[in-house]
Amino acid sequence: MTTNDWVGVGLTVVVFLLILAAYVYALYPKNREKLEAQRFIPLDDDKFDDGEKHGG
Amino acid sequence: MDARAEQKYNLDVVRWFAVMAVVYLVVGASVGVYIASELAWPVLNFDSPYLSFGRLRPVHTNAVIFAFGGCTLMATAFYSVQRTCGVRLWSDKMAWFTFWGWNLVIVLAVITLPLGLTQSKEYAELEWPIDILIAVVWLSYLFNFVMTLATRKSSHIYVSNWFFLSMMIMITYLHVVNSLAIPVSLFKSYSIFAGVQDAMIQWWWGHNAVGFYLTAGFLGIMYYFVPKQANRPVYSYRLSVIHFWALSFGYVWLGAHHLQYTALPDWTGSLGAAISLAMIIPSWGGALNGMMTLSGAWDKLRTDYVLRFMIMSLAFYAMSTFEGPVMAIKTVNALSHYTDWTVGHVHSGALGWVAMVGIGALYHLVTRCFHTEMYSVKLINLHFWAATIGAVIYVVSMWVSGIMQGLMWRAYDDYGTLAYTFAESVEAMHPYYAMRAVGGGIFLFGAAIMLFNVVMTVRKSFAEGRVEQARTATLTTVTA
Repeated sequence: MTTNDWVGVGLTVVVFLLILAAYVYALYPKNREKLEAQRFIPLDDDKFDDGEKHGG
Repeated sequence: MDARAEQKYNLDVVRWFAVMAVVYLVVGASVGVYIASELAWPVLNFDSPYLSFGRLRPVHTNAVIFAFGGCTLMATAFYSVQRTCGVRLWSDKMAWFTFWGWNLVIVLAVITLPLGLTQSKEYAELEWPIDILIAVVWLSYLFNFVMTLATRKSSHIYVSNWFFLSMMIMITYLHVVNSLAIPVSLFKSYSIFAGVQDAMIQWWWGHNAVGFYLTAGFLGIMYYFVPKQANRPVYSYRLSVIHFWALSFGYVWLGAHHLQYTALPDWTGSLGAAISLAMIIPSWGGALNGMMTLSGAWDKLRTDYVLRFMIMSLAFYAMSTFEGPVMAIKTVNALSHYTDWTVGHVHSGALGWVAMVGIGALYHLVTRCFHTEMYSVKLINLHFWAATIGAVIYVVSMWVSGIMQGLMWRAYDDYGTLAYTFAESVEAMHPYYAMRAVGGGIFLFGAAIMLFNVVMTVRKSFAEGRVEQARTATLTTVTA
């Protein structure tokens, strides 16, 4: 294995762990309400006119 | 009439991009039908090098992908980022630079490609000075988008913007690396890559242009415009988050599946095929997410023809994201590679998914940005059926042609001799090539109807002074 190979393997493992973390975050039951609340952004786009920060 | 949006956001640049997208759809599809006809009836070459298939084919691909697709992506991204962030584009001047720069690229492509000035890299044919211009214009698009996100009023960045951003970042990276070349004159350069590395870089770009430009970007369109047109929130936001990250992490691995049975190491093609199969899961998750947005309101499809385009596009998206991974499997690839099956697969995605979701979004944009209803709803319905029937005829003819081609090429007799000559396989293709030209012609007919309908809508809007009224209306209420 060359240095290039080891760097490639390392990056692959890191990327795999990152995507696993993204899945856990998205599917964690406590995050459900917070994430699903964002579904309405395209339908409520006029609410931004009052100058306040919304969502999140 | 949405006077608040007209006065608050930059809809001018969106209007121009949207109208030009429709014009380029007709231009690109016309060249496509012409070159499809050339393959069926070679007399149409007229012995002119400027009209030969080899020179006009990149005109067709550049016109539909970069002219129609690019203008659609720029119109929709600039519109939806303003609406979902509650702020005007960061720089109007930069948005206009993007518009004029992108159109200059298209004009230069239309001039140089028929003249035979090409780098001979698929979907990246343009010579080095135009490549530099593309990079500069694309970066202006990216920078304006990012700065608009940075100045947003919403805390959360809506998922459609993530898809658009992913496309913009990845295409910058892919375009620059794939286009690295040593110029030897103003219109001639040589790629810095050679041999199998050149092939790998080419398909790393080629498949990711499909994955990010034609998929992630158009998924950005889907995630904003399907809920907006249906007036219903997306079915599952969590699924959209998973869809985004899985697609962004996964797509970059797939390019090697274009190089099965070549000088590329065997394991690389196998890896590309394995990840391609894994990508069915997020792709179908996304397609279902879009379709299930209509859950409980399917009756809207009976009357809303724009929504029909979008939902039909998701059916094609699901179909072609299943077909692609199957074709990546080595045993299937041994039959399908270099045949018309690949052409059928590409057009299932291009006509069925990319064009249809783009067309749906453009109809939506035209009504919102010109503050009037479409000139004729019946013509939208006629366009829908022409696009659907045309796409199906095209794709089916290429499936049959491609599978027959593959089977003829590898048929042996009892003595181990090839059963058919190459010329016999070409002769057998003729009816399917004619059928493909007819399918493409029907799709083009639909696109021409759309252009007529959009032009008449714009004329109606200006005759009624709708845009001017929206610009000058006094705003008295604030929607909370």
